[in-house]
Amino acid sequence: MVFLYDDKSYTYDDLLNAISGSGVYCPLFKSKELFPYFANLVKALAAGMPLTLIDSDIKASEIDGVSEEDINVKKTFEAKSYSSMYDVVAALQQSQSEITIFTSGTTGQPKKVVHSISTLTRAVRLGERYAGQIWAYAYNPTHMAGLQVFFQAFENQNTLVNVFGKSREEVYQQIADKQITHISATPTFYRLLLPFEKPYESVIRVTLGGEKSDQHLYDAIGKIFPNAKINNVYASTEAGSLFAAKGDCFQIPEAIRDKFKVVDDELLIHKSLLGSSESFKFTDDFYHSGDLIEWVDKESGLFRFKSRKNELINVGGYKVNPGEVENAIMAMDGVRQALVYGKANSILGNVLCTDVQLEEGCMLTELDIKKTLAAQLQDFKIPRRIKFVEEMSLTRTGKLKRS
Amino acid sequence: MDIQNFLLEVVNAIRENKELDKLASIQESDRLREDYGFTSFDLAELTVKIEDEYDVDIFEDGLVNTVGEIIEKLSK
Repeated sequence: MVFLYDDKSYTYDDLLNAISGSGVYCPLFKSKELFPYFANLVKALAAGMPLTLIDSDIKASEIDGVSEEDINVKKTFEAKSYSSMYDVVAALQQSQSEITIFTSGTTGQPKKVVHSISTLTRAVRLGERYAGQIWAYAYNPTHMAGLQVFFQAFENQNTLVNVFGKSREEVYQQIADKQITHISATPTFYRLLLPFEKPYESVIRVTLGGEKSDQHLYDAIGKIFPNAKINNVYASTEAGSLFAAKGDCFQIPEAIRDKFKVVDDELLIHKSLLGSSESFKFTDDFYHSGDLIEWVDKESGLFRFKSRKNELINVGGYKVNPGEVENAIMAMDGVRQALVYGKANSILGNVLCTDVQLEEGCMLTELDIKKTLAAQLQDFKIPRRIKFVEEMSLTRTGKLKRS
Repeated sequence: MDIQNFLLEVVNAIRENKELDKLASIQESDRLREDYGFTSFDLAELTVKIEDEYDVDIFEDGLVNTVGEIIEKLSK
């Protein structure tokens, strides 16, 4: 059974051989290659050893509490032998390891969060119906979403195909070659796949997470992957995966419904659901998620995300939700991606700007965009500077970078 | 492009968005608010576009009222 397709391919036996009987690992391992990274991860967890996950391209000086000389230093522990991957999975599920991860720092310095295997694997579904799946691995492996996909695939001994950071052509090539069945990625990743050219029928499940998505994108994904069920996932570095998706809404599972509160539209999460971090601030044991939501049906815990709390841009005293404007721009034909942001301005405080990436051959002009927006949005929500860009800059976790 | 032509282009782009007629030329004595019908949002757009081109924030040290005042700031 193939475990991972990267530049080379690796079987689950390769993974077992790398782990079983070895008593050496790196508590702070930095690797550009996925196989040694996963082998180190699984080995440490199965043996209950602590682990800190850091990006392959990050410098120790960029993260608090990590020093360069600790990186890739080997440590020994009492070696364990496993007769099969089932034993490894069982050992991992019982793991008492502390796993330290960092936020991607979409805004500001990466923050450290310590997790247990139970918060990381809360959303993993096991069983026969999950066997034989082939996953596009489209997330950074050291962050929450990448870990979620990894554990889901690994615990069911599914196949992973690395497509993180790959070009549009490479991604499509891999989907076709490996007959990928499952994709879990950010909306930014899916937008890279636009516009629709031909359908890919092997994909039966498409999951979006990490950022707000929009109807235009759902429609396009529906065309590219006609056999796929599309759903959303909400996972944060702080809490892991918490909610089940229902269309463009989320539902808080009944069992943990008393662990949430909504104050001034902001979602508050009880600390029992979180990893631990010095950066967390609690009000009566509840953590401020910064996510603004609206109830669709409060009784059954059904809600929809509106925006991020600190994202609102003050333009001449008006508050603009950049997500709303981005959605309106991305709903236009020929637009692949839009990022709306404020630029400091001596007259208005901020002037609303947008970077727009068009699909190839699209001739949309600044005036066209403004005219279309004027028909649907209030004047203050219309970006005053529209820059057409070839590429958007992304964070380490593949989200659009908001500076 | 000289400053005057650049400003004409920017002013006309803003006026086009507001569905106002394009101007054939601009004069140093033209007043941005009164003669061009610019709101503070339009003035903000004007400053951003000038800043992109000349790296100067024309409103940094107080209000600018006429085309002549802009040209003076950009010629320094």
